[in-house]
Amino acid sequence: MRPSAEAIADLALVVGAIALGIFLLVTGVLLATMWRYRLRPGAPEPRQIAGDLRLEIGWTVAPLLALAAVFVLMLGTMREIGASLPIAADTDRIPLRVTVVAHQFWWEYRFDGGAVAANELHIPVGVPVELDLVAADVIHDFWVPALAGKSDIVPGKTNHLRLFARQPGTYEGACAEFCGVQHAWMRLVVFAEPEPEFDRWLAVQGAARQAPAGEAARGEQVFLRNVCVSCHALRGTGAAGNGAAPDLTHVGGRTTIGTGVLRNDAAAMRAWLADPQRYKPGSAMPLVRLDPGDLDALVAYMESLH
Amino acid sequence: MTTAEVAAVPRQQAGDRYALWLRTVDHKDVGILYLLTGVAFFVIGGLEALVLRLQLAAPRQGVVDPHLYDQLFTMHGTTMVFLVMVPLLIGFANYLVPLMIGASDVAFPRLNALSFWLTLFGGLLLYFSFVAGGAPDAGWFSYAPLAERAGSATSGVDYYILGLGVAGAGTIIGAINLLVTIALLRCPGMTFGRLPLFVWMVLVTSVLILGAYPAFSAALVMLFLDRHLGAHFFDGAGGDPLLWQHVFWFFGHPEVYIMALPAFGIISEVVPVFSGKRIFGYRFMAGSAVAIAFLSFSVWAHHMFAVGLSTAENIFFAVSSMLIAVPTGVKIFNWLATMWGGRIRFTVAMLFAVGFIAMFLIGGLTGVTLAVVPIDWQVTDSYYVVAHLHYVLFGGTMFALFAGAYYWWPKMTGRFLSERLGRAHFWGTFIGFNLTFLPMHWLGVQGMPRRVYTYPAGVGWEGSNLAATIGALVLGLATLVFLFNAARSLRGAPSAPADPWDAWTLEWATTSPPPTHNFEAAPAVRSARPLWDRKHPDLPDR
Repeated sequence: MRPSAEAIADLALVVGAIALGIFLLVTGVLLATMWRYRLRPGAPEPRQIAGDLRLEIGWTVAPLLALAAVFVLMLGTMREIGASLPIAADTDRIPLRVTVVAHQFWWEYRFDGGAVAANELHIPVGVPVELDLVAADVIHDFWVPALAGKSDIVPGKTNHLRLFARQPGTYEGACAEFCGVQHAWMRLVVFAEPEPEFDRWLAVQGAARQAPAGEAARGEQVFLRNVCVSCHALRGTGAAGNGAAPDLTHVGGRTTIGTGVLRNDAAAMRAWLADPQRYKPGSAMPLVRLDPGDLDALVAYMESLH
Repeated sequence: MTTAEVAAVPRQQAGDRYALWLRTVDHKDVGILYLLTGVAFFVIGGLEALVLRLQLAAPRQGVVDPHLYDQLFTMHGTTMVFLVMVPLLIGFANYLVPLMIGASDVAFPRLNALSFWLTLFGGLLLYFSFVAGGAPDAGWFSYAPLAERAGSATSGVDYYILGLGVAGAGTIIGAINLLVTIALLRCPGMTFGRLPLFVWMVLVTSVLILGAYPAFSAALVMLFLDRHLGAHFFDGAGGDPLLWQHVFWFFGHPEVYIMALPAFGIISEVVPVFSGKRIFGYRFMAGSAVAIAFLSFSVWAHHMFAVGLSTAENIFFAVSSMLIAVPTGVKIFNWLATMWGGRIRFTVAMLFAVGFIAMFLIGGLTGVTLAVVPIDWQVTDSYYVVAHLHYVLFGGTMFALFAGAYYWWPKMTGRFLSERLGRAHFWGTFIGFNLTFLPMHWLGVQGMPRRVYTYPAGVGWEGSNLAATIGALVLGLATLVFLFNAARSLRGAPSAPADPWDAWTLEWATTSPPPTHNFEAAPAVRSARPLWDRKHPDLPDR
């Protein structure tokens, strides 16, 4: 088994080579014609030719044959990718199934067993992962080019996409269907890692938050006192959220803030919490005025949530 | 006569001149009004594109805020399709079809004026949205549920619905008018087998408009019901967002050919004349357009390969989309065969026509790659598609429109455009166009989605984006050269004879510009090239 992106890349190379060949042939003839038959002094009146049936048949049939070849190649690739997603209903054959919920403008991942993650997906290397794609509001699209082709995520419908990573690594992607004002910052990242590492990550995502200490503990109180809790869930604190904002239980372990808009470190977290609309105008995250001490505590808390 | 009366006369005359434009029903005047409207909106849509390119020149810029960016790219696409390419092509059709078939006007001159005014006021209604609380911001294809009230709360989408509904009514009426004109007003001897290919393309395009636009109008009404009367045609709760896509693209893909076929027609007039040869394979050129028209109604879901259709549906639409390449290829081969063995005069019109063939070829080939379902799964909704569609609509249709502009300018104005400035315009356009859109193929393959107002640094997209922005500026400068050329020509004295290019179709048999009733004596024809027959009595076409 290989990532479907590799199968598509192979197909695209062949089809691209055919297209390039046709382009070179036709423009070659065009340029040669332009040069050879350019107006020159004393050139005689051209012969007036109405057409040629054999030529017409020839340049109707030749492209048909090329397209037939492309079509057969396409069917082969579709078969390899498993065009009839999802793989029936026999879930036994699917070692790992993840429900992806696309929101304006962030990603939610739900695993069997209760683990929940946001924006960054981890998958085990060498294991096919079946994604059930559902939309929370408008149409989105899950696209990680180096792993697989894209699939739209349409309200009222569950789409399916299979990810398979052969190599460990960081695979970047993005929402690929225009979904509103912050479509640009609906980036996504897939971390493919060896299975033990993935299992550890999954266990962490399934667990409640680690009890904070020191300034972070004060930060938790700030979090619970403010409007944060009306949207964000944070397991272990009683904050259940409303499902419209990312689960923050392990936010400190993510590499970015705001679905890709900022790299996740304390300074960026502080800037983000101080004025989210500056970095992601139009997103649902409101500006919550905090005094500097509370803000520092909240930042310490967020960064402690690994 | 008092001084005041004397001074009032010229003003009165000037006023009369404008009033004439307001109440004209002459197909040539209406055609010119269409063309002027198209050019004006081309400048506006082009400026919108320039702002988009400036914003994307480098990562994380703040030239415009994301709300405005979304309005601008929506208006850019909507403007270029509905208010630039369609009006320009209908403008040429209006001006040329009666002349080419030897008629004195279209079948319904008053209706013709109504078509134009509906198109113009539809456009103005659409643009009024900017001052009425915000332009439409859900993309030119207005996908539900983003285009529903929950997704787009300003009145922008409402102006999109009303403006395009009104302009679309004008387009439908115009198509009926052109159809009836071609069916009934051909001069003696002008059989369907002798129609100039431009007229053939207008004929097929009119049928496409009648098949496609009503579906779009219906979809707009349904969207309006959703937004204002609580209907649920297209939302995810009870309705189906994919229904909008089906209906929209049932209109939207024929619309591509509505914009392409008349362009093919222009090329099929310009290439033979400047090659000194009759068109190669006339019947195949007309027949391939009919084949394209039929196929174009069965390819729409290739815009939807990623939405999760069944494998059978995907394969059906892949096959039909690939098939449409065959008649399109036939056209390209016949243009080449027309040039082969000719005596080619590289006027600016011919340069644009040759540029069209090469650029449209690229757009056509990338179109076939997009018909291959798995490849589409990778590159759809990425910048690859932005590149593809601009090779079809700019490298294709706009190049053909420029070819037509240089070719028919003397006929319409009685004056010539400067060929020297024209060559600068051509090379600026050719280079600027490729610099803008060629790198976008690569951006799409690298993973850059469409319709993003900005992008992260360090993912390898900077160079191509900067190149595209520089190319867009070059394109803008080239367009200024064209506008300057046009303005300069109009200030000069009339100098164009009836037939400046040694051409063959009937519009060149009358003065430049033609009199109100087009022809002093009713023409009669015996072949597809009446003027050739007249010039070569020894060697008439059969």
